[in-house]
Parts: sequence; C-alpha cells; structure tokens
Amino acid sequence: MRKARIVAALVLVALGSYAALAQQRPARPNPMTFFVTSVPIGDGGNLGGLAGADAHCQALATASGAGDRTWHAYLSTQARPGKPAVNARDRIGTGPWYNVRGEMIARDLAHLHGDTLELARLGNNLTKQSGLTEKGQIVPGLNDFPDPRDNDWDWVKTTPYSNRHEMLTGTQPDGTAFPPELDDTCDNWTSNKDPDPSLPPGPLTAAPGKPNAQIGFPDRNGGGNGSWNSSHGTRGCSQRSLPRTHGVGMFYCFAID
Amino acid sequence: MTLPRLLMMAAFLLVLSGSYLAQGRGQAPPRPMGFFVTSVGIGRGGDLGGLAGADAHCAALAATAGAGSRTWRAYLSTQARPGQPVVHARDRIGQGPWYNSRGGLISQHQSQLHGDTLIEAQRGSNLFKQFALTEKGEVVHGVGDPMPNLHDMLTGSQTDGRAFPDSADRTCGNWTSSGAGAAQVGHSDRIGNGNTSWNSSHATTGCSQADLASWGGAGMFYCFAAD
Repeated sequence: MRKARIVAALVLVALGSYAALAQQRPARPNPMTFFVTSVPIGDGGNLGGLAGADAHCQALATASGAGDRTWHAYLSTQARPGKPAVNARDRIGTGPWYNVRGEMIARDLAHLHGDTLELARLGNNLTKQSGLTEKGQIVPGLNDFPDPRDNDWDWVKTTPYSNRHEMLTGTQPDGTAFPPELDDTCDNWTSNKDPDPSLPPGPLTAAPGKPNAQIGFPDRNGGGNGSWNSSHGTRGCSQRSLPRTHGVGMFYCFAID
Repeated sequence: MTLPRLLMMAAFLLVLSGSYLAQGRGQAPPRPMGFFVTSVGIGRGGDLGGLAGADAHCAALAATAGAGSRTWRAYLSTQARPGQPVVHARDRIGQGPWYNSRGGLISQHQSQLHGDTLIEAQRGSNLFKQFALTEKGEVVHGVGDPMPNLHDMLTGSQTDGRAFPDSADRTCGNWTSSGAGAAQVGHSDRIGNGNTSWNSSHATTGCSQADLASWGGAGMFYCFAAD
C-alpha cells in the first residue's frame, strides 16, 4: 500500500515535470521512434513470425498517434532450410531513436549495440527510466513489487506493477541472430511450445530439443549481467512459461524511418 | 546374497553418501562480502584524505558490518603529478570474485567487471542498481527515486578502470581537494548522461560537497576487498 502510494506520487511527479517540459517546448522536437510494447501478443513466443510482431508494433504505435511511421520489432530469426537468418539490428533503421518523451535511446546502431570496446563499456541510454512503453509507462523490473506468485501468469496478468522485464529478442549482444543449431527464437516466433515437463529444468540457455527464446532487460538489472538485448533464455515458449523468469512476451519496437 | 557381496554393497553406499556429502559442502561456497557502496561519504566533497583516507573509510564501514577482517580498497584512481605516481583503480582491488553484502555476485573477475573483451563489455557485469548495495545491504537512491539522488560514485577513472593520462583534473587533486577541480564519476544505478557506465559516466564541476550534490552525488564511492 505504501509502495502503491509512492508509485502514484512518482507518477504524478513525472506527469508534472512532463507537463512543465511540454510548456517550455510546445513543439516536441524528437517524435517517438522507440518503445517497449505496453502489452504482449499473449501467445507466448508465438508472435505470428516477424510479420505478426511488426504488426503488433504498428498497431500499438497507431493507437498512440505514431502510426505514420514504419515500425519493426527488435527480433532476430535463425537460419532454417531455405530461409536465411535475419539480424534484429538490420531491421530497425539507422537511428537516432527517441522514446515517447523525446529522450534519446541511442544515436545510431553502433551506440545502441556497443560496436567498439569504448562504446560497449559506456553503454547506450536504454535504462529503466527511458525504456518506456508507447504510453509512457516504466516497465516494472527486478525487485519491483516482489511476490511469491510473480512467476505465475495468472497473477502477473492481473498485477500490472509486478516484474515483467524480459524482452523477447532472440538476439546476441551485437544484435545479430544466433547460429541455427539450437532454438533461441521460439522457432522464429511461431512456437508456444514448452519442453517435456518430465525433464529437469536445466539452465536458462538454449538446449537440444528445448523451445527457448533469448531475452534482454530494459531495466538493465538481472541475469548476471545488465544486457538490454541478450541476457539469457527462457523456460519455454508458452505464455505460462515466460513469467517463470519474469517476462510476459513484450518486446522492443523501433521506427525505421 | 553372500556376505562379501553385502559388504561390497555397503562400501559402495558409503562411498556414494560420502561423495554426496562432499558435493553438498561444495554447493554452498562461502560468499563473504567483497564489494559495497559506501553508505555515506566522508563529507568533505572530493577531499578523501587521498587514497589512504578513502581506504580507511572503506575499512571502517566494513568493520561496522562485521567484515573488517578483509583488506578493503576504495575504487579510485590517482593521476600522475610531480612527485606522485599514477595509480589505476583496477589495479587496487584484487582479482575477484566479488560478492555484495547479500552474497550476490558482482563480478567473477577483472575482465567481466571492466568489459575487457567486446562481448563482456556489451553484456555488462552484475554491478547494477539492485546489486550495488551499501555495506548495510541498502539500495542506493538513483534517478527516479525520492530525492536526493546519490548515484554519482567517485572513481577518477576511465571506463577501463585506469587513470586519465591528461593534465586536466579528474580526481579532485588526487582526492585532496574540497574546492577547485573535478572528479570523474560513475553511476551506481547505471542511469544518466546518456550512458550506463558504472565507473566513468561524466566529470563533476567542482569538488565541494555542494558541488557533488548538484550533480547527484554525496562523495560516495565503491569499496572492494582485495584479498
């Protein structure tokens, strides 16, 4: 309850400062070209392929008045017979990208991914405070409203402040697709399957025969690293499996134009 | 079943249980605190009494948390000045692994902490807001938290953990100035100045306690156990 009040107060403060900013700058100079999906598609790792995920980005952008741009999901697919791999970094234009408040997420692809040692050590500007949904919401992250039930989809879907910081990416830290041998993309975003429940859970990585997706964190907290795009894998690809590691199947959207 | 066979089975079971016990012990290695954020600054801005004063601050806070037996070093560089050698922060803190006050792993080794390879640098270490705890186990207030924002950590270091080579001051006069000068800082919450650097995000203007506060800090810093 106390936390809820604090959050409410913070939201008010945030709205207040936003209003103050808006007053100072009536014409917002940097229109939104990046957001985290405020809601998942809802069928686990089955996004209807890249086309389905892009359509989800486009629909959410349209609902918030940014539908005049071309939106792509930040997702890779792995090479399959007759189909070459697709790298997430090759799908999102060249930047710069701004969130719904006009704050820069990254100047360009090299800044976003840390293409040089110095860029990678410094990092981009995707943080818990800037990694906002298209509605301007902060994505609940590590240690937010902890509850023993926050690994259970039935709880998570009705508790909007519980941790849900895992973004589907299917991508390596440099923004490229994984090699084809194992599943890092829920079968190129068409699978809602889980591993055989009789098998031991094992580590949060891809493994032979395991439906799995690589994820990253907008709050940069968790998984033994702070990677925004490639921290670890999932327990499976069903909607019920994703919350077991604090995800719900949300992902990043970027405007390519 | 013959007696020898029974004995053999008993011996086999003993060996099994023995290795199980050994494994049980091996599964919970000690994770003593080897990293913390100072819960308070020294209070004189960038004047820490040099590296020796900063190390003593680390040791004193560690002692209050029951970790006084380790060798504590402040994560600070000093710059080469007449009569003063350059000191790189990364060379002062041992080799790791370092755990926080709740046993959470901060980094396995130097290479992970500083991102010595491209893939390590892209992934980042475990030094993020929810793990970068004080010696009391508290999360340090950062961007988006109730004010004041305390996330600026004095380091005087470049992103690779080494001192700045130039003549410009990045260390408040090698941690002796509470007036003129500048200090390079990192962010314990990994938020601010357009990057997520824990050890080298930006420089302050001025070294007084008020100067540091105006940038979002209180003259706090990282402490690591070197042993």
